[in-house]
Amino acid sequence: MIQAEHVSFSYSDQGPTVQDVSFHIEKGDFVAILGANGAGKTTTVRLIDGLIRPTQGKVLIHGADTATSPVSERARRVGFLFQNPDRQICKNTVREEILFGLKTVRGDESEEALNARCEEVLKDFGFSGDEEPFSLSRGQRQRVALASILAVEPEVLILDEPTTGLDYLECCHIMDRIRRMNREQQVTVVMVCHDMEVVLDYAQRALVMAGGKLLADGPVREIFRDAELMEKASILPPQMIGLSLRLGEGFEQADTPDAMAEAVLARRGEGGKRHEN
Amino acid sequence: MKTNLFQYVPGNSVIHRMNPVTKILLTIVICVAAFLSGNLFYLAGLLVVDLLIGIIAGVAGKTWTIFKGLLKIAIFLFVLQILLVRNGTPVLWIITDEGLLTAARVVIRLVVVCMPLALVLAVTRVTDLTNSLVQVLHVPYQYAFTLSTAIRFVPQFLEEMAGIMEAQTARGVAFDKARGLKKFSMILPLCAPLLISSVRRTDQTAAAAEVRGFRLRTRTSGYKKYPFTAVDLGAVLFCALLLAGAILLK
Repeated sequence: MIQAEHVSFSYSDQGPTVQDVSFHIEKGDFVAILGANGAGKTTTVRLIDGLIRPTQGKVLIHGADTATSPVSERARRVGFLFQNPDRQICKNTVREEILFGLKTVRGDESEEALNARCEEVLKDFGFSGDEEPFSLSRGQRQRVALASILAVEPEVLILDEPTTGLDYLECCHIMDRIRRMNREQQVTVVMVCHDMEVVLDYAQRALVMAGGKLLADGPVREIFRDAELMEKASILPPQMIGLSLRLGEGFEQADTPDAMAEAVLARRGEGGKRHEN
Repeated sequence: MKTNLFQYVPGNSVIHRMNPVTKILLTIVICVAAFLSGNLFYLAGLLVVDLLIGIIAGVAGKTWTIFKGLLKIAIFLFVLQILLVRNGTPVLWIITDEGLLTAARVVIRLVVVCMPLALVLAVTRVTDLTNSLVQVLHVPYQYAFTLSTAIRFVPQFLEEMAGIMEAQTARGVAFDKARGLKKFSMILPLCAPLLISSVRRTDQTAAAAEVRGFRLRTRTSGYKKYPFTAVDLGAVLFCALLLAGAILLK
């Protein structure tokens, strides 16, 4: 579905920000792009949506080169949630905001159909519709931005640090909604995220970047268990994985609190048996 | 991130080493001289001075970018002037010799005046500009800070606007296809998010300044000194020459 072929990009006055990056993302994948600041993660997602054009290589979505068609024409199929919701919100009420996105990319549909879709999304996200977006909290504004993107039912959702600055509950609200879209409607999700706990909880696959290069591509748990890779990419793995790695044998699969408790109990049971023997 | 037009370019050129006040003086003198003289050759000379300043400062690329940007506005103004000024002898259709001269003066003046204003920011740190205004010219810190903050906000606003346009393009607003007036009409509704983010940023900057003892700062608070050197003396003499030239070649 999304194919990056030897993609490189550099801003005119600096060295390459992304160097020879290749990957393939299938429909329904939930992929996280990981790496330290300046690793090239945001540049990579901007390249995927065609917001910037590769200096070398190409990005294909459904076989179409993103560099040869306008970004605005892709908005029907590709939704992009930015880190700062205030850059997306431009209307006076939440209803107007959602309708604005709908009318922009689904303008060929009837007014009634768009209004009905808007009300459906408002209900789904728990908004009355008359709220003023700029008087809402940061987390709520991020939800408004997400609602207006999901309203158009994109096939691909790109998230650039969607949970930055949000409290735990808001973070869960937003990520749960995205996971539901991913599982129920097979929406492909590509997410840049610095919160490794969120990545572990929600993503299936991770692309690890450092210095603009792609270091690794694989299942999230395997990636986090590669201590050498984590060090190379300057990433601190989630606490549970860090702990399970330290505890070693018998704790390999203990990457959630429940799994850890079970592993500890199992070890205790073995210990008890050894004592009995 | 892309570097913007108003961003400081580090360097150790003669222009960089000049006292910031001298650079401001040079900028003001070039502007005044451009309006004192209507002589096209003199104005063209000032344009060369602008370009030379950029080259000597080691920011030739940036100077050229500024020049190209101004040239677009200049061409628009030139066409407007030659079509609107009807005094003088007709040369071609409704274009008169007076119209051509006036248009040439206006556009050269525009470029001559705008270039040093942009260049002074490329070769002077905003903090040095503020501190020198306070230390050397005894401008109250609050006013100098306001000026420097306003300058600092320009690229930030431009970056914010670019970010907003990018976000809207990703939502399907056809900024990437529209041109001219249509694009302008599409930008207008985006003034709301820009205004709101600007007010928020201003509030945050004010709060940050307050907690760092903004009101306690005096003229002697800065540790860096801004002495006048032989280079500054040379620049002042050059300013006097420019003004004399402007008066002589009215």
